[in-house]
Amino acid sequence: MAGEVSLVDLVKRFGEIAAVDGINVDMPSGEFFSMLGPSGCGKTTTLRMIAGFEQPTEGRILLDGTDMAYTPPHKRNVNTVFQNYALFPHLNVHDNVAFGLRRQKVGKQELRQRVGEALELVQLNGFEKRKPGQMSGGQQQRVALARALVLKPAVLLLDEPLGALDAKLRKALQIELKALQQQVGITFVYVTHDQEEALTMSDRIAVMADGRVEQIGPPQEVYEAPETVFVADFLGVSNMMDAEAVGGANICRLMVGDFELDALKGKTDARGPSKVTIRPERVHLEDQDTNGPNRIPGMVERLVYLGNSVQVITRLAIGTTIQVLVQNAGGEIPWKQGTPVQAYLPPEALRVLTDTGAALPKLDEEAVEPV
Amino acid sequence: MTTTTPAPPRTAAPQGRPSAARRLRSWFANPWGRPRFLVLITWTYMVWAIVPVLIAVQYSFNGSRSRTIWAGFSTRWYISDPSSVINDPTLSSALQQSLKLAAADVIIATPIGVLLALGLARWRGRGSGSSNFIMLFPLVTPEIVMGVSLLLVFTNLFTFIHTGTFAQILGHVTFSISYVVVIVRGRLFSIGRQYEEAAADLGASPRVALVKVLLPLLTPAIVAGAAICFAISIDDFVISYWLSSGGNTTTVPMAIYAATRAAPLPSTNAIATILSLITLASVVLGYAGYRIFTRGERAAGQGMVGDMAAFDI
Repeated sequence: MAGEVSLVDLVKRFGEIAAVDGINVDMPSGEFFSMLGPSGCGKTTTLRMIAGFEQPTEGRILLDGTDMAYTPPHKRNVNTVFQNYALFPHLNVHDNVAFGLRRQKVGKQELRQRVGEALELVQLNGFEKRKPGQMSGGQQQRVALARALVLKPAVLLLDEPLGALDAKLRKALQIELKALQQQVGITFVYVTHDQEEALTMSDRIAVMADGRVEQIGPPQEVYEAPETVFVADFLGVSNMMDAEAVGGANICRLMVGDFELDALKGKTDARGPSKVTIRPERVHLEDQDTNGPNRIPGMVERLVYLGNSVQVITRLAIGTTIQVLVQNAGGEIPWKQGTPVQAYLPPEALRVLTDTGAALPKLDEEAVEPV
Repeated sequence: MTTTTPAPPRTAAPQGRPSAARRLRSWFANPWGRPRFLVLITWTYMVWAIVPVLIAVQYSFNGSRSRTIWAGFSTRWYISDPSSVINDPTLSSALQQSLKLAAADVIIATPIGVLLALGLARWRGRGSGSSNFIMLFPLVTPEIVMGVSLLLVFTNLFTFIHTGTFAQILGHVTFSISYVVVIVRGRLFSIGRQYEEAAADLGASPRVALVKVLLPLLTPAIVAGAAICFAISIDDFVISYWLSSGGNTTTVPMAIYAATRAAPLPSTNAIATILSLITLASVVLGYAGYRIFTRGERAAGQGMVGDMAAFDI
């Protein structure tokens, strides 16, 4: 089946800046593949190179084995759903959807039929005569999908297609989009900075930072088993601690301050300065006089009520503050502000990470993606 | 500090009636009040600007030969009098010449301006910045300088171009192209590259994308540009004057100028009225065209303001 995309050593430089810095990805046909990362990580540039709007500086873009890095966009069998839809404002819905078919010189009968099918697919029959300006954001989004899908592309590229919609609609469309992808069975390459979107819809996710791929894998794997500091930090909440790996192969013996921890997950053969992480929901808080391995004493600093759970901000004796998530089971939480506790960090929840140097962008210096 | 006593009012209530000066001041400087002075000044200006024109229009319908003493309504200076617009060969030929120049200007300058705008907006690299800037030169060059320079070019350099209609058309085209470029380029910047990319993505070659997507989207700007070309050409005096060869290359503004210096008749007012109406009509048509062609977009919250903001000069 058609729709296999391979990016080989793909590089794109804008002047001095490498927006995409050597990407190698294989997307099998029919996969829902997401590129996830903060703005400026190169995900949109990568997508634009697959679409043909940018020429790679180096590397190859293979579609079903053929290099199309230097094929102009109008000759590629891929179609794009743009972030702001880019529906032609002077054409009505029917003519927008028919635009690509007319370029292919499809016969009148077939054209009408295929436009009808595409609009049915996105549940917009009866809207043929509307202009894009007379439709809501969600409806425009569907027209954009229909306009791309009607051409039966081998690959559909989606550039933050839900970014301009409100949260509720976004949730509904996430489910619809995933169902649609399974229905049409073509490869979707989806670009987003929203981790929830990527986690709910994708077959596989590539987490990107600074023009490189940090980790590729199914949503569960990327979330549960982050390999790098960046991925652990970007997806969900992670408690990061500096540690010194001192021994072990399958079990990594770590010195965190004066405390000894065993970690079972991640890069357990690491030696020397390392980063170790644990998710807030995996930390157990215990009475201060509990003894045993993998425990660090601390003190409750703050409680944040979240409804279904309570976030316990705990300052450990090593100086690091961690978040602990305690499920709200109806009872009273035994810890108050200032209570001394033992934080139990189970070895099977502690993960040793690789530090690639990629960092989350600071909130005040959000990088701008070159367009 | 926690108290249960109600907070005192933020401003102390005025004791008794405020002084007259104070009331005047609060009337004068009340930020919530109606903008009285703004309205006053605006209307003063409008009256100041429009009344002389209306008086000139009124006397074009005068029953007598006077341009200052009203002698009843008549259309003789338009059609019946021997020296009316229709019957006076100087005036009717001037009207013809003006319309001819304006039409030729629109037909030549608009397409060239559109193509230049497309090129300039999409050209990135050495020279693109300066050429964008130089485009504005004709807009800021004093017209008299341009007129004289063109005359020198035609009489000394390109001597095969003789003064007359052709030279006048060249002159008008030269300075009106800039207006088209500025308007179309502004629109190009505001619509961005996304529609071209979408067209290419759907299989349109660059040529098809231009014809099927870009030109329709540029239509409002093209219409507006053409209307402005027409309006500035038809009331141009300086360049038409310098490049004319007398006789039937006299335009309406030149004829009015000459008539006013000799023995002005209400027929001068009549032709001025016709000129104003034509100019007004072209601008109204251009604006209406702009409104019609951007109807869908304005519903989506874009439109003229965005285009103007994106002029990027």
